[in-house]
Amino acid sequence: MKSNTTPVTGKASGSAFRARIRFALTALIVIAVYYWSIQGIRFEGIQGTAGTVSKSILQGFLHPDWSFVYIPEGEDLLRGLLDTLVISILGTVVAAVVCIPFAFWASTNMSRRLAVSGSGKIALSVIRVFPEIIVAILFIKAVGPGSFAGVLALGIHSVGMLGKLYSETIENIDRGPQEALIASGANRLQVLRYAVLPQVIPQFLSYSLYRFEINIRSATTLGLVGAGGIGTPLIFALQVRNWNRVGIILLGIIALVVLTDLVSGWLRKRIT
Amino acid sequence: MIEFDNVTKVYANGTVGLRNINLTIREGELVVIVGLSGAGKSTFLRSINRLTDITSGDIRVNGQSVTRASGSQLRRIRRDIGMIFQSFNLVKRSTVIRNVLSGRVGYHSTLRTLLGWFPKQDVELSLDALQRVNIREKAYVRSDQLSGGQQQRVSIARALAQEARVILADEPVASLDPLTTRQVMEDLKRINRDMNITTVINLHFIDLAREYATRIIGLRAGEVVFDGTPEEATDEAFAEIYGRPVQQDELLGGA
Repeated sequence: MKSNTTPVTGKASGSAFRARIRFALTALIVIAVYYWSIQGIRFEGIQGTAGTVSKSILQGFLHPDWSFVYIPEGEDLLRGLLDTLVISILGTVVAAVVCIPFAFWASTNMSRRLAVSGSGKIALSVIRVFPEIIVAILFIKAVGPGSFAGVLALGIHSVGMLGKLYSETIENIDRGPQEALIASGANRLQVLRYAVLPQVIPQFLSYSLYRFEINIRSATTLGLVGAGGIGTPLIFALQVRNWNRVGIILLGIIALVVLTDLVSGWLRKRIT
Repeated sequence: MIEFDNVTKVYANGTVGLRNINLTIREGELVVIVGLSGAGKSTFLRSINRLTDITSGDIRVNGQSVTRASGSQLRRIRRDIGMIFQSFNLVKRSTVIRNVLSGRVGYHSTLRTLLGWFPKQDVELSLDALQRVNIREKAYVRSDQLSGGQQQRVSIARALAQEARVILADEPVASLDPLTTRQVMEDLKRINRDMNITTVINLHFIDLAREYATRIIGLRAGEVVFDGTPEEATDEAFAEIYGRPVQQDELLGGA
């Protein structure tokens, strides 16, 4: 018994020692990286006007410009928010449909060769590389400023993420129904329609709604670069330091995000 | 009628699934395949509708070669062969009737099935099939709401709606409790008798095999080592098939 336990504890203390070394090394690297990053920025101290600016920002939030909520001639809060909502709905729908072929392309269980699904996965990664704000700037150059550029930017960017999530859903389906359909004489499309789609569609919808929640947040920033939505009046108000207007716009964004989150969350719970 | 002509199956890794099988299963027979796991029972069954390709030889179902059939020809042959699986293989979140109807897709054009337009007769056929296995009242319930035994009956109904002339069942009761096991076996037996559907079942319970089969085929290492009536399948014969005496867990009990 004794001779049996001794080598075990010896081995255990050996690996404990190695774990401690590894921890020390990791800590050292993290500290080094952090130190290097701090070196990278120049800290210029707080501006002398910081106090007054902060106070006026706070004043703006406490006294939002209610008159901006609705202006009959247009360019008001409600229309800006509506624009943002429309951009994110359209962008999400575009992505939810466009990413379906990509998802099947990238799923390992939908093609025999690994090269096929591998290239699909790479394509989706490439689409995901740029944040929507960069994509939006590119599209503004292509189609001009406005909501359409915003829709395209959100749509294209969401394809990357949704395609990945969809393809993971496809990879996780139960193969049994496919086999049953093949055995009953179904062709490939019929197998897809009756064994694959019923298993993945609810999950697809759920992911699309989740992406919609993300897109509504992104859509508020798209206006900052001129791609439509509530971001445009926000950046104008910021530039002229109209803090009361900034306050009402931010309040509006909060209301919109909370509301859409509630609705989308409720829908997602009902789906699955 | 199912004919095996010198059928051999060797897997890519060198494992022999079937070794030179020659036999004929006549119309209306209820054949039970027995053997240890790994003896080739599943390979035998799945080669009949070519879910598994054989290496050499020929398999004919109702006179048509499954081995040589291709594309639409193979699908036409498969349409006449219903299959029942150990894990039921239903789309769990679809309704029962959807699952049963999916057995009908081989009869219609791709476009029509993609749109989901099943003729009224198909729906009636499916409901009748459910009636036959006594779960018609569950037709519009989601499949995952059903018990294991009920789900297996849905998959039997799917094979019936398919108007299959042959039913293959791969360990159909392996994931069921003893009581539902008997109900499902009774369903299969009744369908075999009443509708004269040739039925081939893989089982590992030898008392069930004796009780329900009209013919028992024993496989060992891919070879047919027994082929006879249930009366001939004595404990000694099973010991021969298994290469060792029969064990208690190979009996379902409670007959």
